[in-house]
Amino acid sequence: MGDHLETIKNAVIGGKHAEIKTLVLDAIDAGLDPNRIINEALIPAMDVVGKDFGSGKIFVPEMLVSAVTMKTGVDILKPLLGGDQGESRGTVIMATVKGDLHDIGKNLVTMMLEGAGFKVIDLGVDLSAEKLIEQVNSIRPDILGLSALLTTTMPEIQKVIAELKAQGLRDKVKVMVGGAPVDRTFAEKIGADGYGANAAEAVQLARRFTGAST
Amino acid sequence: MDLKPDFNRFLAAVRHKETDRVPLGEVLIDYSIQSKFLGRNVTADDLAGQVEFWAKAGYDYIPITVSMMSPGKVTEESKITRVLKEMVLREKPGTTDPKAWNLEMTSFIHERPDLEKFPWEAAADIDFSKLHEVKRLLPEGMKVIAVSGKIFTLTWMLMGFNNFALKLVLDEALVAEVFERVASIQFKALEAIFSMDHVAGVWVVDDVAFGTGPMISPAAFKKHVFRWYKKVGEKCHENNRLFLMHSDGDLSMLMDDLISMGVDVIQPIDPSCMDMAKVKKQWGDRICLVGNVSNELLRSGTTGEIAARVKELLRDAAPGGGFALGSGNSVPNWAKFENYLAMRETCLKHGSYPIRL
Repeated sequence: MGDHLETIKNAVIGGKHAEIKTLVLDAIDAGLDPNRIINEALIPAMDVVGKDFGSGKIFVPEMLVSAVTMKTGVDILKPLLGGDQGESRGTVIMATVKGDLHDIGKNLVTMMLEGAGFKVIDLGVDLSAEKLIEQVNSIRPDILGLSALLTTTMPEIQKVIAELKAQGLRDKVKVMVGGAPVDRTFAEKIGADGYGANAAEAVQLARRFTGAST
Repeated sequence: MDLKPDFNRFLAAVRHKETDRVPLGEVLIDYSIQSKFLGRNVTADDLAGQVEFWAKAGYDYIPITVSMMSPGKVTEESKITRVLKEMVLREKPGTTDPKAWNLEMTSFIHERPDLEKFPWEAAADIDFSKLHEVKRLLPEGMKVIAVSGKIFTLTWMLMGFNNFALKLVLDEALVAEVFERVASIQFKALEAIFSMDHVAGVWVVDDVAFGTGPMISPAAFKKHVFRWYKKVGEKCHENNRLFLMHSDGDLSMLMDDLISMGVDVIQPIDPSCMDMAKVKKQWGDRICLVGNVSNELLRSGTTGEIAARVKELLRDAAPGGGFALGSGNSVPNWAKFENYLAMRETCLKHGSYPIRL
C-alpha cells in the first residue's frame, strides 16, 4: 500500500499528469482509503513542490503542472469520500484590487488553490472595495485573496479590509494578500491575516486558515 | 553643463569608459512627464515634441517602439485587431465585447488548431514609419534606439500565462512553435531596423523574471528564448549596433547567460530585488548597467531622498563607466515630477567624471 502512496506522491511531484488517473484508480482498486491517498500522498507531494519552488529547484510551469496533476487526483477521490468530506476544502474569493489590471500572480494562486482542492471564485481584476464586499456578503467565502502589482494600487487592499470591518464582516473571512510590492510588513500593518510571497505560500496559508492540512 | 546629445557618451559608458559625465538612461518616460518638462503637451503622435524632450532633458538617444504587436499599439484600428475581429465574428457572430478580439485583453493560442488559425501575416506587418520619420528631427549627435524584439512576453501573451506555463511542460512542441513564429517575425524586423543609419541599437523589452527569479526555468529559457537572443546579439554586433535588454525581476540566475548572448546593456536592475552594488561587483565589468532608482521612491519619496539615492548609485556603479543613471523600471505618470527632476539633476550635477562622492 505504501508503494501506491509513494508512487502517487512522486507522480504529483514529477508532474506526471497523464499517469495520475491510472495511479489513483489502481490505489483505490488495491483497497486504499481515499482519505489516506489525499493526506499521505497528494498533500505531502504539494508540500514538496512548494518547497522546491521556494528554493528555485523548480519554476512556475512545473509547479502548475503538479497542481493540475493533484487536482485530477482529488477530483477522482472526492466522490468516494464519506459524509461531507467530498466537499471542497474551503471557498476562496480571489481578486486583483481596483485600478490594477495585472493578473498573472492572482491566476497562478487560483490554479494552485484549485489544485489543492479549494473552491475558488475568481472575480478578476480591477475590483472595487464595494464590489468585493458585496461578493463576500453574498458568497461568504472562508478566505478572501487580494492581489496588487502596483505600489499605487496597494492601498486599495487596505481599503477593502477597512470596509470589511465597517460592514461587520471582518471576523467572518480570512484575508490573505500578495503581489510584487506587497510584503509581510505591509500585510501586518493593514491587518491582513496572512501574506504569501508566492503561489505555493498562498496555498499553505489557505490550508492553515481552513485547517485543511489536517 | 552642456546637455547637447552625444551618443558617443552613451557608447563610451557601454564600453566601460569614462567621458565627461554619466549618461542618463531610460527606455520609457510617460508623455505627462515629458509634457511637464517642456511646458507644453507632448503626445504619442508628436514625434518632434518627443525628440525635443529627450534631447533637452539630457539623453543621448530617443527610444522608439517598433515591434510586432507592441503594447499600446494593438488598438481597435490596427490591422491585427481588424483581422482578429473578423475571425471572431465569423466563429461567433454577434460578439460585441472587444475583449474577444483585442490582443491586449485576451489570448488566442490555446491549442494547436489556434496556432494555425492565428493571422501571422497580419501580426508580422510591422509599421516602421515612425522610425523613418524621426531621422529628420534628430539633433546632431543624437541617435535612435529601436525598442523591438520582444519574444518571451509576446509568446505567453498570445497563449495566456497559465496556459503557456502548463503547455510548456505538457505540450512543449506547441509552445516551441509559437516561440519560433514570434521570434522569426521579430528577428526579420531587425533587417529593416538596421538599414537605418540613425538607429544605434535595439532595446529588447522582454520581462523574463519575477521578483523571486526566472519566470520559467533557465533551461527552458536557453532552449526556446535565449538562442534567439544570441542571434539578435550576433546580428546587432555584425551591424555595429548595441543590444540592450530590459527585464523586471531578479535576473541573478540569468545574468551570465544574458552576457554570454551578447547583451551589451541591461536595464533597469530592478531595485525591489536586485542590489546595484552587488550586481556591479559581480557582473559590472562585463555588461553596462542602467537604472535602479526605485519607482516607489519616485512616487512617494522626497527630492532629498532621491538625491541621496542617486549619489549612492553614482558612487557604487559609475566609476570606470559601464553605468547610466535611470529609474528602476520606467518613468510612469504616477512618478512625482519633482522627483524625476531631482533624479536627473542630481546625476547631471554629481555625475561628472571623475566621480567625487
